[in-house]
Amino acid sequence: MKRSKSIAVSLAAISALLLAGCSSPGTEASSSTDSKAIVLDAASLTPNGIIGKGKNGEEPASVDALQLTDEEKAKVKAGKFTAAIAMQTMDIDWSRLTLKGIQDTFDSLGIKVVGVTDAKFDVQQQIADLENLITKKPDVIISIPVDDVATAEAYKKVSAAGIKLIFIHMPASGLKYPADYQAVVAPDNQGNGEIAAAALSKYIPENGVAGIVDFAVDFYTTNQRTLRVKNWFSENRPDVKIKEVGFTDTTAVGPITANFVTANPDVNGLFIIWDSPAMQSVAALRSAGVTLPITTIDLGTEDAVDMAGDGYIKAVGAQRPYDQGVAEALAAANALLGKKVPAWVALPAVAVTPGNLLESYKSIFGTEVPKEIVDACNTSGICGK
Amino acid sequence: MNSKKSTKFRLFPSGVKSAPDFFRGYFVYLALTALIIFFSLASPYFLTAQNLFNIGRQTTAVSIIAVGMTFVIINAQIDLSVGSVFALSGMTSALVMQYVNNFWLLGALAAIAVGVVIGFINGWVTVKLGVPSFLVTLGTLGIARGIALIITDTKPVLISNPAYFQLFGDSSFLGIPIAVIWTLVIVIAGFIVLHKTTFGLRVFATGGNPQAARFTGINTHRTIIASFMIVGALAGLASLQFTAIARAARPDLAAGLELDVIAAVILGGVSLFGGRGTIVGALAGSLIIGVMNNGLVLLGVSSSFQEIIKGIIIIAAVSLGKKK
Repeated sequence: MKRSKSIAVSLAAISALLLAGCSSPGTEASSSTDSKAIVLDAASLTPNGIIGKGKNGEEPASVDALQLTDEEKAKVKAGKFTAAIAMQTMDIDWSRLTLKGIQDTFDSLGIKVVGVTDAKFDVQQQIADLENLITKKPDVIISIPVDDVATAEAYKKVSAAGIKLIFIHMPASGLKYPADYQAVVAPDNQGNGEIAAAALSKYIPENGVAGIVDFAVDFYTTNQRTLRVKNWFSENRPDVKIKEVGFTDTTAVGPITANFVTANPDVNGLFIIWDSPAMQSVAALRSAGVTLPITTIDLGTEDAVDMAGDGYIKAVGAQRPYDQGVAEALAAANALLGKKVPAWVALPAVAVTPGNLLESYKSIFGTEVPKEIVDACNTSGICGK
Repeated sequence: MNSKKSTKFRLFPSGVKSAPDFFRGYFVYLALTALIIFFSLASPYFLTAQNLFNIGRQTTAVSIIAVGMTFVIINAQIDLSVGSVFALSGMTSALVMQYVNNFWLLGALAAIAVGVVIGFINGWVTVKLGVPSFLVTLGTLGIARGIALIITDTKPVLISNPAYFQLFGDSSFLGIPIAVIWTLVIVIAGFIVLHKTTFGLRVFATGGNPQAARFTGINTHRTIIASFMIVGALAGLASLQFTAIARAARPDLAAGLELDVIAAVILGGVSLFGGRGTIVGALAGSLIIGVMNNGLVLLGVSSSFQEIIKGIIIIAAVSLGKKK
């Protein structure tokens, strides 16, 4: 009897925790601005030129600086060069599109790709990948570091072996331009941050609060994005208060955002650092019955569907991974010809809003727009406006 | 006799004879209560309906799978594959619905079937080939994740079935979110099966002393395989809640979920060496993790400090609640 009483008490205690909300009213955070009335104009959100600078403070150069003359193209073809590519992951659309841009351009220039590796975000794996690629003696390696510090020694071996080195996004720490590497090709992360901030600002009322859901790991790309979001608000909307929450586990962001919004019901809208955490947050907020405008960076199918359906995602600052791949390959060809390539070549950020979603998706992915996005557009009627 | 004594219909982890003994046996509940009181005082938002439902929803996957994991661990086995099974099941459900005209029932059954099949393989290889379950499930962890990544070329699969969303993710009943109701149903069902049926008795007997169990005529192999199938099915079921809320299945979902589930079960007083544990304890363990995750964000603790604090609380709770 005594035991069954304890069972009952414990079950009741736990049930009470789960059910305590039944009788008390819910507190819901919601935007105090009528989001339906706001129409975002992609052109006015797009920054004027490149906003950010390179990791070592380099001034941005345009992709135009990489174009080859017909004579130079012929020289590259005659050189019968070989190349290798060391990626950080192949699990995302971004990698596939970047790689396709590189591959297509190399094909047109007669440069043969002798190896492509996928480090699966593992530093040890990338070090091994680079060592293995060096043994194949390619003329150039294009690579994005998993970790710019831990892989630095492996990248030094690349240049020591007399192989040209072109970085994607950021150089490894301690390597010298142009002795150790010949160029970095990157998206304008600060420009993307500016698009997200400027779009979010439309949903934040005067003296309102903007929430930032940030990656709490010191990572150059995400640091640049958040830096610009904060600077943009302090320069253009000093009345807006910024509140922040960080995450380290990239697969468990939803609960963190839901809990953050609960603890800060005054938040009028959120900037979330990239699309996957943003969509995890959308799921958690939807299930908690909270509606908030969100802006993010990187266009994927999921955030595109949500935006098309007049959901949480209001605007996206996007990269152009295919064009970035083309620029990487052109930088490599320039380096192979012995030309000096600018230290930091930046591609402008693209503002994606419901108004230009369909054509942006088509041009960024180079494919037809998926049916789910078209269907969502047809139902909501907001696309193209 | 001793083994029988420790295996019969026991709700709490140890016999309650003295004050320290009482303290240890009920530690998980005391720890949960202490955390709830602390966060209620520290944050005005903690004890609101919205927030408590947040915790309920956020712990759904861990709580549901922890029910199955309790069976496996009481059997003195372990299942490391549940996070990958969760991802593969969710993916299967989304893909099946795409192919059968959005028929949600078939999608849901396919997800659970995937879990049952992998559970059967885990159990069968463990008992018939004599491979430790730690290694078998480490293998299926990789295999299931790999298949989830391959079948869609690593892309997420969108779900667009309103009935599926309602049944597994969005709706509420008497004001209670459906995810929380699913959790309660599974916990009650797990409680009855483990503590009120002969199958439950066999699970305790197999984990407590497999040789003695065999001598008393229990088919220990069948019991172990069935336990793996239960946790697999529950991983499949839990994935339905998640994919319904997210409107999509992703192949990279729930990496590391198995560690939260195992932590919840062990926090709840289930012995890693088998033969001892309760479903209600496992639920309390899951809620401790959920309350910590929630409360630390409400207090604005930085994410790096959160990890340290969670680690300390887990070690403290397990060591203080440990039976001497």
